[in-house]
Amino acid sequence: MSRDRRFFAGLVGVATVVTWLIWTGISDTMVYYLTPSELMDRMNATPELVEQGVKVSGNVVPGSYERSTAELLHTFLVSDPKHPEVTLTVHFRHPLPDTFSEEAEVVMEGRYMGDGVFEAHEVLTKCGSRYEAAPEEMKGDDAYGYGGTGTT
Amino acid sequence: MLPELGEFALWISLPISIWGVVLAFLGGRWGRGDLVLSAERSVHAVLFLLAVASAGIIAAFLGDRFEYWYVSNYSSRNLETYFKVSGLWAGQRGSLVFWALNVAFFSSIAVWTNRARNRELMLWVSGTLLAVLAFFIVITLFITPPFERLPFTPQDGRGLNPQLQNYWMTIHPPTLYLGFTAFTVPFAFAIGALLSGRLDARWIQITRKWVLTSWFFLTLGIVFGMRWAYEELGWGGYWFWDPVENASLLPWIVATAFLHSVMIQESRGMLKVWNMVLVCLTFIMTIFATFLTRSGLIESVHSFALSLEIAYAFLGFMAVISIICLVLIVWRLPELRSERQFESFLSRESAFLLNNLVLLGAGFAVLWGTMFPLLTEGLTGSKVAVGPPFFNQVNIPIGLILLALMGIGPVIAWRRASARNLKKNFMIPIGVGLLTAGILAALGMRHVYALLTFAIGAFVLWVIVTEFWKGTRARARIEGEGAPTAFFHLIRRNRRRWGGYIVHVGVVVMFMGFAGAAFDREVRQSLEPGESVSIQSAFGHEYTLTYEGISTQRGQNMWQWIALMSVERDGRFIGPMTTERRFYEAPPQPMTEVGIRSTFYEDLYVILATLDDRVGIGNEPDFQRATFQVMVNPLVPWIWYGGLVIAIGTLIGLWPGGPVQSQRPVAGVTKPAARRPGNEPEPQPAGVG
Repeated sequence: MSRDRRFFAGLVGVATVVTWLIWTGISDTMVYYLTPSELMDRMNATPELVEQGVKVSGNVVPGSYERSTAELLHTFLVSDPKHPEVTLTVHFRHPLPDTFSEEAEVVMEGRYMGDGVFEAHEVLTKCGSRYEAAPEEMKGDDAYGYGGTGTT
Repeated sequence: MLPELGEFALWISLPISIWGVVLAFLGGRWGRGDLVLSAERSVHAVLFLLAVASAGIIAAFLGDRFEYWYVSNYSSRNLETYFKVSGLWAGQRGSLVFWALNVAFFSSIAVWTNRARNRELMLWVSGTLLAVLAFFIVITLFITPPFERLPFTPQDGRGLNPQLQNYWMTIHPPTLYLGFTAFTVPFAFAIGALLSGRLDARWIQITRKWVLTSWFFLTLGIVFGMRWAYEELGWGGYWFWDPVENASLLPWIVATAFLHSVMIQESRGMLKVWNMVLVCLTFIMTIFATFLTRSGLIESVHSFALSLEIAYAFLGFMAVISIICLVLIVWRLPELRSERQFESFLSRESAFLLNNLVLLGAGFAVLWGTMFPLLTEGLTGSKVAVGPPFFNQVNIPIGLILLALMGIGPVIAWRRASARNLKKNFMIPIGVGLLTAGILAALGMRHVYALLTFAIGAFVLWVIVTEFWKGTRARARIEGEGAPTAFFHLIRRNRRRWGGYIVHVGVVVMFMGFAGAAFDREVRQSLEPGESVSIQSAFGHEYTLTYEGISTQRGQNMWQWIALMSVERDGRFIGPMTTERRFYEAPPQPMTEVGIRSTFYEDLYVILATLDDRVGIGNEPDFQRATFQVMVNPLVPWIWYGGLVIAIGTLIGLWPGGPVQSQRPVAGVTKPAARRPGNEPEPQPAGVG
């Protein structure tokens, strides 16, 4: 019986270590996943959260994309799907994903730097990278026209 | 004609598989052998029908039959033939048929190879296999019909996602599917054993080979996927802890645990319930992987579009399987009792058990991190994200423990390790590990996890190489063979053991490759033709890349803009290198094709980040300024070498034929009588407590 108990202790030990790793892992690395307007609300309520890591998703504002030639810097505006009047200015210094376009929905990780500027260290596009189009898009002839980079 | 025939065959396969389930279970109940035989024939019939259905889908692709929704969404006239064939698994609808085809293929093999054996198991096994098949056929017929027609016939299809137009992508999904689906057979045998009450060593023996087969394909599939991500996604990495990647890792982890704990059952008659649980859990995890990938519930770069019907269907299936497994295991609990007890903490049994617990811990951490955002949103309403930092922070320490266990397991004594055993077997290897860490630290390596990986890796490699050396030397002496002959005979005599060690060598090499990521270097620079950029690698090499200019080229369904660089290493010209951007026409999408120049220990990885004129497709660039991202990724090639070694080791373990019993005992064996199948001679007297 005492032997069983010792092995039970071993099991509890492993479980404790794993739980502790998961717990600290989550609390160290978890970030909030917000829309631009949620981010702005949060920043206005608690300004000390500026420069804390956060994940933001929104729509690229058409016509807002700019790229500086001297250094690799992409700048574009991202708006909130529900509150289009709220926009964030995004700075990104890495190559953009191939599926990026001015109609794309993007998911970004980075920090809010104040003054409406979001410094992204990662940009992913949402719809374009899915391997299957939503079924509704297939209805009607229009779906087959190659209108531009944003058809997916 | 073939697509229509395929659709017909798919419909016919459903009643036949359901009929087979009924026959198998009735035949079992009434003891009617003819019914069971009939059920087994329906397994082969379903395989044939699904093969016809798959051929129908491929024919629809090859014939540009765009009236089919599936074809028009995943193909276009100018798509290369090669990718048209792989259209079968390019999207949700086709890939589920392909999945069912794979299940049927393995089911058919299992039924055929056991046609004259294990009869009392086989009726339940065929019944279970057919039930799983029926589930997938129902999904393909009613939720994701591959032969659904559009109300009109488009002129051309929408084309295949350019990211899928890659060599690795054509072989990565099928390999992974083979791994997932092969696991249906061990699951069926587990259910068969539980239902029939034949819980002796038989089912475990058959199952082990099948699990290893599944594990082989899963491993290859995962490594191919990493390779694809590395070449095609163009961000310099190979693993992103994406939900779909995690989904493929989960069954792999649980299956790995089973492959280890099954040895304890075979040699010591312990952990029977545990093994049963692991088989069921692995199968549930393969279904969970399909669920995650195909329901689109969790945001992922890989996933298919959101489909709640599929989500509910797979959740329901998982729930049913879990309940069946649970009820059956509880019912058979008295017959699954351990024959022996653990005797000591310091024993090989404990090392195996610890390996299992740690593996499951890793699996749980991966599962938790994957599901956490969904759970938090469901419970609190606030959206959170958990990314690669979480998985690395949790899994690196766990991985290091597993790595260390690979060195401890082979040389710690069964039952109870004496102080003498520990001292004799561990002093030198631990010394080698410490020495490695010392040398690397002296050379300037300061990254703690990397140091630990190399130190523990060296310890494990030393242990394994010593085992090989001792075995070969003993055999050479006793049998009077030359060293190479003795080496090959040694492996042949116990393929499982030595194959397993080779797999471990591969894992160590792979882990060292992962550790290399700590020393990645990266520069980004905008260049005009004639200008160059330099980067220093972690190994101290200086690469200088001179941008020579861009040329434009027409591919079959795309334009290629190819940047030419000439590469110097440490001041010596080593050759030209290209890196490109492509603009696909169907679907219209740009695509980065990275340039990779591999040496034995590091990769030069060049991304053409932006062209100066990115206004539109087909426009000539006004001038040729371009921005390059240049990376040197040390030890990445070792990941692929490690994968290859793992594959070789697994094949050695899988090769038909059991362990060849040597006529004479190998030196160092004190108790030949203590040899059990799958167990190796003890190099020291086993102390009985």
